Amino acid sequence: MNCISGFYPATSGSVSILDTDVYSHPKHARMHLGVCAQEDTLDSDFTVLDQMVRYGTYFRVPVKEGRSRSLALLERFGLDGRRNDLVEQLSGGMRRRLQVARALVSQPKVLILDEPTTGLDPEVRRILWDVIAEERSRQVAVLLSTHYMEEAERLCDFVAILHQGRILDCASPSDLIAKHIGTGEVEEEIRKGVRWKRPPNLEDVYLKLTGSHLEQTA
Amino acid sequence: MTGWWGIRCVWLRYFDVYRKSLFYSVVTTFVEPTLYLIAFGFGLGGIIQTVHVGDIEVSYRQFIFAGIVGQTILFQAFFEAAYGSFIRMYYQRVFQAIATTPITLSEVLWAELIWDASKATFASSAVLVIGTFMGDFNPIGAIIALPLCFACSFIFVGLGLFVAARSRTIEEISYPQYLLIFPMFLFCGIFFPMESLPKVLQWIAWALPLTSVVSLVRTLTLGLPFQIQALPILLIWLLVLIPWSRRAMTRRLIK
Repeated sequence: MNCISGFYPATSGSVSILDTDVYSHPKHARMHLGVCAQEDTLDSDFTVLDQMVRYGTYFRVPVKEGRSRSLALLERFGLDGRRNDLVEQLSGGMRRRLQVARALVSQPKVLILDEPTTGLDPEVRRILWDVIAEERSRQVAVLLSTHYMEEAERLCDFVAILHQGRILDCASPSDLIAKHIGTGEVEEEIRKGVRWKRPPNLEDVYLKLTGSHLEQTA
Repeated sequence: MTGWWGIRCVWLRYFDVYRKSLFYSVVTTFVEPTLYLIAFGFGLGGIIQTVHVGDIEVSYRQFIFAGIVGQTILFQAFFEAAYGSFIRMYYQRVFQAIATTPITLSEVLWAELIWDASKATFASSAVLVIGTFMGDFNPIGAIIALPLCFACSFIFVGLGLFVAARSRTIEEISYPQYLLIFPMFLFCGIFFPMESLPKVLQWIAWALPLTSVVSLVRTLTLGLPFQIQALPILLIWLLVLIPWSRRAMTRRLIK
Protein backbone atom coordinates (compact mmCIF):
# COMPACT_ATOMS: atom_id res chain seq x y z
CA MET A 1 0.00 0.00 0.00
CA ASN A 2 2.88 2.34 0.78
CA CYS A 3 4.34 1.66 -2.66
CA ILE A 4 1.05 2.45 -4.34
CA SER A 5 0.85 5.84 -2.65
CA GLY A 6 4.45 6.49 -3.69
CA PHE A 7 5.61 6.73 -0.07
CA TYR A 8 7.94 3.75 -0.49
CA PRO A 9 9.94 3.30 -3.69
CA ALA A 10 9.14 0.10 -5.56
CA THR A 11 11.90 -2.51 -5.36
CA SER A 12 10.94 -3.57 -8.87
CA GLY A 13 8.29 -2.54 -11.37
CA SER A 14 6.36 0.72 -11.20
CA VAL A 15 3.01 2.10 -10.06
CA SER A 16 0.94 4.46 -12.17
CA ILE A 17 -2.18 6.25 -11.03
CA LEU A 18 -4.31 7.42 -13.95
CA ASP A 19 -1.26 7.09 -16.22
CA THR A 20 1.07 9.07 -13.95
CA ASP A 21 4.00 7.31 -12.32
CA VAL A 22 3.49 7.82 -8.61
CA TYR A 23 7.12 7.62 -7.56
CA SER A 24 8.60 9.93 -10.17
CA HIS A 25 5.65 12.38 -10.16
CA PRO A 26 4.12 12.02 -6.69
CA LYS A 27 2.61 15.52 -6.59
CA HIS A 28 0.70 15.06 -9.81
CA ALA A 29 -0.28 11.43 -9.26
CA ARG A 30 -1.47 11.87 -5.68
CA MET A 31 -3.72 14.77 -6.62
CA HIS A 32 -6.35 12.16 -7.51
CA LEU A 33 -5.49 9.68 -4.79
CA GLY A 34 -7.26 9.29 -1.46
CA VAL A 35 -5.50 7.20 1.16
CA CYS A 36 -6.81 5.78 4.40
CA ALA A 37 -3.84 4.11 6.06
CA GLN A 38 -4.13 1.04 8.25
CA GLU A 39 -2.81 2.88 11.30
CA ASP A 40 -4.40 5.95 12.87
CA THR A 41 -2.87 8.99 11.16
CA LEU A 42 -5.47 11.52 12.32
CA ASP A 43 -4.05 14.87 13.38
CA SER A 44 -4.68 15.00 17.11
CA ASP A 45 -3.79 18.71 17.25
CA PHE A 46 -6.97 19.70 15.40
CA THR A 47 -10.69 19.20 15.77
CA VAL A 48 -12.64 16.85 13.52
CA LEU A 49 -13.78 19.56 11.09
CA ASP A 50 -10.54 21.58 11.14
CA GLN A 51 -8.39 18.65 10.23
CA MET A 52 -10.59 17.69 7.31
CA VAL A 53 -10.47 21.22 5.90
CA ARG A 54 -6.71 21.33 6.50
CA TYR A 55 -6.22 17.98 4.82
CA GLY A 56 -8.10 19.39 1.83
CA THR A 57 -5.65 22.27 1.57
CA TYR A 58 -2.85 19.75 0.98
CA PHE A 59 -4.76 18.96 -2.24
CA ARG A 60 -5.22 22.67 -3.00
CA VAL A 61 -8.90 22.54 -2.08
CA PRO A 62 -9.83 26.13 -1.05
CA VAL A 63 -10.83 26.46 2.61
CA LYS A 64 -14.42 27.48 1.89
CA GLU A 65 -14.93 24.61 -0.53
CA GLY A 66 -13.16 22.19 1.83
CA ARG A 67 -15.44 23.26 4.65
CA SER A 68 -18.64 22.59 2.76
CA ARG A 69 -17.33 19.25 1.47
CA SER A 70 -16.24 18.29 4.99
CA LEU A 71 -19.61 19.15 6.52
CA ALA A 72 -21.38 17.03 3.91
CA LEU A 73 -18.98 14.13 4.51
CA LEU A 74 -19.33 14.32 8.28
CA GLU A 75 -23.09 14.07 7.89
CA ARG A 76 -22.73 11.08 5.57
CA PHE A 77 -20.48 9.36 8.11
CA GLY A 78 -22.71 10.16 11.06
CA LEU A 79 -20.08 12.41 12.63
CA ASP A 80 -21.63 15.86 12.25
CA GLY A 81 -22.38 16.05 15.96
CA ARG A 82 -18.66 15.69 16.69
CA ARG A 83 -17.26 18.30 14.34
CA ASN A 84 -15.76 20.43 17.10
CA ASP A 85 -14.33 17.54 19.10
CA LEU A 86 -10.68 16.62 19.24
CA VAL A 87 -9.64 13.22 17.93
CA GLU A 88 -8.92 11.86 21.40
CA GLN A 89 -12.56 12.37 22.36
CA LEU A 90 -13.67 9.97 19.60
CA SER A 91 -14.18 6.23 19.89
CA GLY A 92 -12.18 3.80 17.75
CA GLY A 93 -15.05 3.39 15.28
CA MET A 94 -15.47 7.14 14.93
CA ARG A 95 -11.75 7.61 14.30
CA ARG A 96 -11.86 5.02 11.57
CA ARG A 97 -14.85 6.70 9.93
CA LEU A 98 -13.18 10.09 10.20
CA GLN A 99 -10.04 8.78 8.57
CA VAL A 100 -12.03 7.43 5.61
CA ALA A 101 -14.04 10.68 5.44
CA ARG A 102 -10.83 12.70 5.44
CA ALA A 103 -9.52 10.69 2.49
CA LEU A 104 -12.61 11.77 0.53
CA VAL A 105 -12.29 15.55 1.06
CA SER A 106 -10.15 15.87 -2.06
CA GLN A 107 -12.76 13.94 -4.12
CA PRO A 108 -10.22 11.38 -5.29
CA LYS A 109 -10.62 9.28 -8.40
CA VAL A 110 -8.69 6.44 -6.78
CA LEU A 111 -9.28 5.52 -3.17
CA ILE A 112 -6.99 3.27 -1.15
CA LEU A 113 -8.50 1.79 2.00
CA ASP A 114 -6.08 -0.30 4.01
CA GLU A 115 -8.10 -2.58 6.29
CA PRO A 116 -10.71 0.10 6.98
CA THR A 117 -13.09 -2.13 8.95
CA THR A 118 -10.69 -4.09 11.15
CA GLY A 119 -12.00 -4.27 14.70
CA LEU A 120 -15.20 -2.34 14.00
CA ASP A 121 -18.67 -3.26 15.23
CA PRO A 122 -21.24 -4.39 12.63
CA GLU A 123 -23.06 -1.06 12.59
CA VAL A 124 -19.99 1.03 11.83
CA ARG A 125 -18.88 -1.54 9.31
CA ARG A 126 -22.21 -1.14 7.50
CA ILE A 127 -21.78 2.63 7.34
CA LEU A 128 -18.37 2.18 5.73
CA TRP A 129 -19.68 -0.48 3.35
CA ASP A 130 -22.42 1.89 2.20
CA VAL A 131 -19.91 4.67 1.62
CA ILE A 132 -17.61 2.36 -0.35
CA ALA A 133 -20.54 1.21 -2.49
CA GLU A 134 -21.56 4.83 -3.08
CA GLU A 135 -18.05 5.86 -4.10
CA ARG A 136 -17.89 2.91 -6.44
CA SER A 137 -21.13 3.96 -8.09
CA ARG A 138 -19.53 7.40 -8.65
CA GLN A 139 -16.85 5.74 -10.76
CA VAL A 140 -14.20 6.01 -8.05
CA ALA A 141 -11.74 3.12 -8.23
CA VAL A 142 -11.50 1.64 -4.74
CA LEU A 143 -8.57 -0.49 -3.68
CA LEU A 144 -9.50 -2.23 -0.47
CA SER A 145 -7.40 -4.54 1.63
CA THR A 146 -9.18 -6.72 4.14
CA HIS A 147 -8.93 -9.90 6.14
CA TYR A 148 -12.68 -10.39 5.99
CA MET A 149 -13.56 -12.52 2.98
CA GLU A 150 -17.23 -11.78 3.46
CA GLU A 151 -16.42 -8.11 2.98
CA ALA A 152 -14.36 -8.73 -0.14
CA GLU A 153 -17.06 -10.95 -1.62
CA ARG A 154 -19.69 -8.36 -0.92
CA LEU A 155 -17.93 -5.20 -2.11
CA CYS A 156 -15.39 -6.10 -4.74
CA ASP A 157 -15.52 -6.58 -8.50
CA PHE A 158 -12.10 -8.15 -8.44
CA VAL A 159 -10.35 -9.91 -5.63
CA ALA A 160 -6.67 -10.73 -5.50
CA ILE A 161 -5.75 -13.28 -2.88
CA LEU A 162 -2.41 -12.32 -1.41
CA HIS A 163 -0.30 -14.66 0.64
CA GLN A 164 3.26 -14.02 1.79
CA GLY A 165 3.63 -11.18 -0.69
CA ARG A 166 2.42 -13.11 -3.74
CA ILE A 167 -0.87 -12.88 -5.62
CA LEU A 168 -2.21 -16.44 -5.68
CA ASP A 169 -5.15 -15.63 -7.93
CA CYS A 170 -7.08 -12.59 -9.11
CA ALA A 171 -10.62 -12.67 -10.48
CA SER A 172 -14.19 -11.76 -9.56
CA PRO A 173 -15.40 -13.41 -6.34
CA SER A 174 -17.86 -15.66 -8.17
CA ASP A 175 -15.22 -16.76 -10.68
CA LEU A 176 -12.77 -17.51 -7.89
CA ILE A 177 -15.35 -19.62 -6.06
CA ALA A 178 -16.43 -21.47 -9.20
CA LYS A 179 -12.84 -22.10 -10.23
CA HIS A 180 -11.43 -23.31 -6.91
CA ILE A 181 -14.40 -24.75 -4.99
CA GLY A 182 -17.15 -25.40 -7.54
CA THR A 183 -20.82 -24.47 -7.45
CA GLY A 184 -22.22 -27.26 -5.29
CA GLU A 185 -22.82 -26.95 -1.56
CA VAL A 186 -19.97 -27.49 0.84
CA GLU A 187 -20.21 -29.39 4.05
CA GLU A 188 -18.24 -28.24 7.05
CA GLU A 189 -17.90 -29.64 10.54
CA ILE A 190 -18.18 -26.46 12.59
CA ARG A 191 -18.01 -28.29 15.95
CA LYS A 192 -17.49 -31.92 16.75
CA GLY A 193 -20.56 -33.74 15.52
CA VAL A 194 -22.23 -30.60 14.12
CA ARG A 195 -22.11 -30.50 10.33
CA TRP A 196 -23.25 -27.61 8.25
CA LYS A 197 -24.20 -27.48 4.60
CA ARG A 198 -23.91 -24.13 2.89
CA PRO A 199 -23.06 -22.54 -0.45
CA PRO A 200 -19.32 -22.07 -1.02
CA ASN A 201 -17.80 -18.68 -0.28
CA LEU A 202 -14.62 -16.71 -0.76
CA GLU A 203 -13.23 -17.81 2.59
CA ASP A 204 -13.18 -21.39 1.30
CA VAL A 205 -11.14 -20.18 -1.66
CA TYR A 206 -8.75 -18.29 0.58
CA LEU A 207 -8.26 -21.27 2.88
CA LYS A 208 -7.80 -23.64 0.00
CA LEU A 209 -5.30 -21.44 -1.82
CA THR A 210 -3.26 -20.40 1.19
CA GLY A 211 -3.63 -23.75 2.99
CA SER A 212 -2.19 -25.73 0.13
CA HIS A 213 0.57 -23.18 -0.03
CA LEU A 214 1.34 -23.67 3.64
CA GLU A 215 1.57 -27.43 3.14
CA GLN A 216 4.07 -26.85 0.39
CA THR A 217 6.24 -24.65 2.50
CA ALA A 218 5.91 -26.77 5.64
CA MET B 1 9.73 17.24 -5.96
CA THR B 2 10.33 19.95 -3.37
CA GLY B 3 8.45 23.20 -3.76
CA TRP B 4 7.67 26.22 -1.64
CA TRP B 5 3.93 25.73 -1.79
CA GLY B 6 4.10 22.36 -0.02
CA ILE B 7 6.57 23.60 2.59
CA ARG B 8 4.41 26.65 3.29
CA CYS B 9 1.29 24.49 3.66
CA VAL B 10 2.94 22.32 6.32
CA TRP B 11 4.62 25.29 8.05
CA LEU B 12 1.16 26.86 8.37
CA ARG B 13 -0.09 23.69 10.02
CA TYR B 14 2.56 24.08 12.72
CA PHE B 15 1.90 27.79 13.04
CA ASP B 16 -1.85 27.18 13.46
CA VAL B 17 -1.20 24.67 16.23
CA TYR B 18 1.04 27.25 17.91
CA ARG B 19 -1.54 30.02 17.48
CA LYS B 20 -4.47 27.86 18.60
CA SER B 21 -2.89 27.18 21.98
CA LEU B 22 -1.37 30.63 22.24
CA PHE B 23 -1.14 30.76 26.02
CA TYR B 24 0.67 27.42 26.20
CA SER B 25 2.90 28.43 23.31
CA VAL B 26 3.84 31.78 24.80
CA VAL B 27 4.57 30.25 28.20
CA THR B 28 6.74 27.48 26.75
CA THR B 29 8.54 29.80 24.34
CA PHE B 30 9.20 32.92 26.38
CA VAL B 31 9.12 32.07 30.07
CA GLU B 32 12.30 30.01 30.11
CA PRO B 33 14.63 32.62 28.54
CA THR B 34 13.06 35.33 30.72
CA LEU B 35 13.71 33.32 33.88
CA TYR B 36 17.34 32.82 32.86
CA LEU B 37 17.64 36.53 32.18
CA ILE B 38 16.34 37.44 35.61
CA ALA B 39 18.23 34.77 37.55
CA PHE B 40 21.62 35.25 35.91
CA GLY B 41 21.35 38.82 34.68
CA PHE B 42 20.22 40.29 37.97
CA GLY B 43 21.08 37.53 40.45
CA LEU B 44 24.59 36.69 39.36
CA GLY B 45 25.03 40.09 37.73
CA GLY B 46 24.60 41.62 41.17
CA ILE B 47 27.71 39.84 42.48
CA ILE B 48 29.90 39.92 39.41
CA GLN B 49 30.04 43.48 38.17
CA THR B 50 32.15 43.31 35.04
CA VAL B 51 33.81 40.84 32.69
CA HIS B 52 36.94 41.44 30.66
CA VAL B 53 37.09 39.96 27.19
CA GLY B 54 40.39 40.88 25.59
CA ASP B 55 40.76 44.59 26.21
CA ILE B 56 37.05 45.23 26.39
CA GLU B 57 35.10 45.47 29.62
CA VAL B 58 31.36 44.79 29.69
CA SER B 59 28.96 44.41 32.58
CA TYR B 60 28.22 40.82 33.56
CA ARG B 61 24.54 41.43 32.85
CA GLN B 62 25.37 42.42 29.25
CA PHE B 63 27.66 39.42 28.97
CA ILE B 64 25.07 36.95 30.25
CA PHE B 65 22.16 38.46 28.31
CA ALA B 66 24.05 37.90 25.05
CA GLY B 67 24.90 34.36 26.18
CA ILE B 68 21.26 33.65 26.90
CA VAL B 69 20.40 34.49 23.28
CA GLY B 70 22.57 31.48 22.36
CA GLN B 71 21.11 29.34 25.13
CA THR B 72 17.57 30.11 23.95
CA ILE B 73 18.40 29.03 20.41
CA LEU B 74 20.03 25.85 21.70
CA PHE B 75 17.18 24.73 23.94
CA GLN B 76 14.21 25.90 21.90
CA ALA B 77 15.57 24.51 18.63
CA PHE B 78 16.81 21.20 19.98
CA PHE B 79 13.85 20.36 22.19
CA GLU B 80 11.22 21.28 19.62
CA ALA B 81 13.00 19.31 16.90
CA ALA B 82 13.93 16.28 19.03
CA TYR B 83 10.82 15.75 21.16
CA GLY B 84 8.37 17.55 18.86
CA SER B 85 9.33 15.71 15.71
CA PHE B 86 9.55 12.38 17.55
CA ILE B 87 5.96 12.85 18.69
CA ARG B 88 4.83 13.92 15.23
CA MET B 89 6.63 11.02 13.56
CA TYR B 90 6.03 8.22 16.10
CA TYR B 91 2.82 8.97 17.98
CA GLN B 92 0.81 11.32 15.77
CA ARG B 93 2.12 10.06 12.42
CA VAL B 94 1.69 13.55 11.00
CA PHE B 95 4.62 13.06 8.62
CA GLN B 96 3.14 9.87 7.24
CA ALA B 97 -0.35 11.34 6.84
CA ILE B 98 0.83 14.40 4.93
CA ALA B 99 3.39 12.56 2.81
CA THR B 100 0.69 10.51 1.07
CA THR B 101 -1.00 13.69 -0.20
CA PRO B 102 0.44 15.82 -3.04
CA ILE B 103 2.94 17.12 -0.47
CA THR B 104 6.13 15.06 -0.42
CA LEU B 105 8.10 13.81 2.56
CA SER B 106 10.97 16.06 1.51
CA GLU B 107 8.69 19.09 1.84
CA VAL B 108 7.30 17.88 5.17
CA LEU B 109 10.83 17.59 6.57
CA TRP B 110 11.85 21.03 5.29
CA ALA B 111 8.72 22.48 6.90
CA GLU B 112 9.60 20.73 10.16
CA LEU B 113 13.13 22.19 10.12
CA ILE B 114 11.97 25.68 9.15
CA TRP B 115 9.17 25.70 11.72
CA ASP B 116 11.41 24.55 14.57
CA ALA B 117 13.97 27.19 13.59
CA SER B 118 11.22 29.83 13.39
CA LYS B 119 10.05 28.97 16.89
CA ALA B 120 13.59 29.21 18.27
CA THR B 121 13.99 32.56 16.53
CA PHE B 122 10.73 33.90 18.07
CA ALA B 123 12.07 32.97 21.49
CA SER B 124 15.53 34.45 20.93
CA SER B 125 13.95 37.65 19.61
CA ALA B 126 12.32 38.09 23.03
CA VAL B 127 15.77 38.08 24.65
CA LEU B 128 17.11 40.48 22.03
CA VAL B 129 14.20 42.87 22.62
CA ILE B 130 14.58 42.76 26.41
CA GLY B 131 18.37 43.24 26.15
CA THR B 132 17.92 46.20 23.82
CA PHE B 133 15.28 47.89 26.00
CA MET B 134 17.44 47.39 29.08
CA GLY B 135 20.12 49.31 27.21
CA ASP B 136 22.49 46.35 27.26
CA PHE B 137 22.56 45.61 23.53
CA ASN B 138 23.50 47.75 20.60
CA PRO B 139 20.08 48.06 18.85
CA ILE B 140 21.43 47.75 15.31
CA GLY B 141 23.54 44.76 16.32
CA ALA B 142 20.47 43.16 17.89
CA ILE B 143 18.51 43.55 14.65
CA ILE B 144 21.34 42.04 12.62
CA ALA B 145 21.59 39.22 15.19
CA LEU B 146 18.04 38.09 14.39
CA PRO B 147 18.74 36.54 10.96
CA LEU B 148 21.93 35.10 12.45
CA CYS B 149 19.82 33.43 15.16
CA PHE B 150 17.51 32.00 12.51
CA ALA B 151 20.44 30.55 10.55
CA CYS B 152 22.09 29.12 13.68
CA SER B 153 18.82 27.58 14.84
CA PHE B 154 19.05 25.18 11.91
CA ILE B 155 22.15 23.59 13.43
CA PHE B 156 20.37 22.61 16.65
CA VAL B 157 17.16 21.84 14.82
CA GLY B 158 19.11 19.51 12.54
CA LEU B 159 20.69 17.91 15.58
CA GLY B 160 17.25 17.45 17.16
CA LEU B 161 15.73 15.91 14.05
CA PHE B 162 18.71 13.61 13.68
CA VAL B 163 18.36 12.49 17.30
CA ALA B 164 14.61 11.93 16.87
CA ALA B 165 15.22 9.83 13.77
CA ARG B 166 17.82 7.68 15.52
CA SER B 167 16.01 7.20 18.85
CA ARG B 168 13.99 4.02 19.14
CA THR B 169 12.00 5.36 22.07
CA ILE B 170 11.36 8.88 23.30
CA GLU B 171 13.47 8.16 26.40
CA GLU B 172 16.56 7.66 24.25
CA ILE B 173 16.50 11.37 23.38
CA SER B 174 17.82 11.92 26.93
CA TYR B 175 21.27 10.55 25.98
CA PRO B 176 22.23 13.37 23.61
CA GLN B 177 20.36 15.78 25.83
CA TYR B 178 22.60 15.00 28.82
CA LEU B 179 25.77 14.18 26.93
CA LEU B 180 25.77 16.96 24.37
CA ILE B 181 23.15 19.65 24.93
CA PHE B 182 23.74 20.26 28.65
CA PRO B 183 27.56 20.26 28.29
CA MET B 184 27.20 22.82 25.49
CA PHE B 185 24.95 24.89 27.72
CA LEU B 186 27.56 24.87 30.49
CA PHE B 187 30.88 25.04 28.64
CA CYS B 188 30.31 27.05 25.47
CA GLY B 189 30.86 30.47 26.95
CA ILE B 190 27.35 31.42 28.04
CA PHE B 191 28.29 31.99 31.70
CA PHE B 192 31.98 32.83 31.58
CA PRO B 193 34.60 33.87 29.01
CA MET B 194 36.19 30.93 27.21
CA GLU B 195 39.65 32.04 28.41
CA SER B 196 38.74 30.86 31.95
CA LEU B 197 38.72 27.23 30.78
CA PRO B 198 41.82 24.97 30.45
CA LYS B 199 43.19 24.99 26.89
CA VAL B 200 41.98 21.44 26.12
CA LEU B 201 38.42 22.26 27.14
CA GLN B 202 38.59 25.44 25.08
CA TRP B 203 39.44 23.40 22.00
CA ILE B 204 36.59 20.97 22.65
CA ALA B 205 34.16 23.82 23.30
CA TRP B 206 35.17 25.55 20.08
CA ALA B 207 34.51 22.36 18.12
CA LEU B 208 30.91 22.40 19.38
CA PRO B 209 28.62 24.79 17.52
CA LEU B 210 27.25 26.81 20.47
CA THR B 211 30.58 28.57 21.22
CA SER B 212 30.59 30.13 17.77
CA VAL B 213 26.94 31.19 18.07
CA VAL B 214 27.55 32.89 21.42
CA SER B 215 30.73 34.54 20.11
CA LEU B 216 28.98 36.01 17.06
CA VAL B 217 25.99 37.22 19.10
CA ARG B 218 28.38 39.01 21.50
CA THR B 219 30.24 40.57 18.58
CA LEU B 220 27.01 41.98 17.19
CA THR B 221 25.21 43.01 20.36
CA LEU B 222 28.13 44.07 22.58
CA GLY B 223 30.88 44.85 20.08
CA LEU B 224 33.23 42.18 21.44
CA PRO B 225 36.10 41.10 19.11
CA PHE B 226 35.03 39.18 16.02
CA GLN B 227 36.40 35.63 16.15
CA ILE B 228 36.60 34.65 12.52
CA GLN B 229 36.78 30.89 13.12
CA ALA B 230 33.13 31.02 14.24
CA LEU B 231 31.89 31.35 10.66
CA PRO B 232 33.49 28.24 9.10
CA ILE B 233 32.67 26.18 12.22
CA LEU B 234 28.98 27.10 12.00
CA LEU B 235 28.92 26.57 8.26
CA ILE B 236 30.38 23.07 8.57
CA TRP B 237 27.88 22.07 11.27
CA LEU B 238 25.05 23.45 9.18
CA LEU B 239 26.11 21.72 5.98
CA VAL B 240 26.57 18.40 7.78
CA LEU B 241 23.56 18.34 10.07
CA ILE B 242 20.80 19.46 7.70
CA PRO B 243 21.32 16.73 5.06
CA TRP B 244 22.17 14.13 7.73
CA SER B 245 19.04 14.78 9.73
CA ARG B 246 16.82 14.72 6.65
CA ARG B 247 18.38 11.51 5.43
CA ALA B 248 18.11 9.86 8.85
CA MET B 249 14.43 10.74 9.19
CA THR B 250 13.66 9.63 5.65
CA ARG B 251 15.33 6.28 6.36
CA ARG B 252 13.43 5.94 9.60
CA LEU B 253 10.12 6.39 7.78
CA ILE B 254 10.84 4.51 4.56
CA LYS B 255 12.05 1.10 5.64
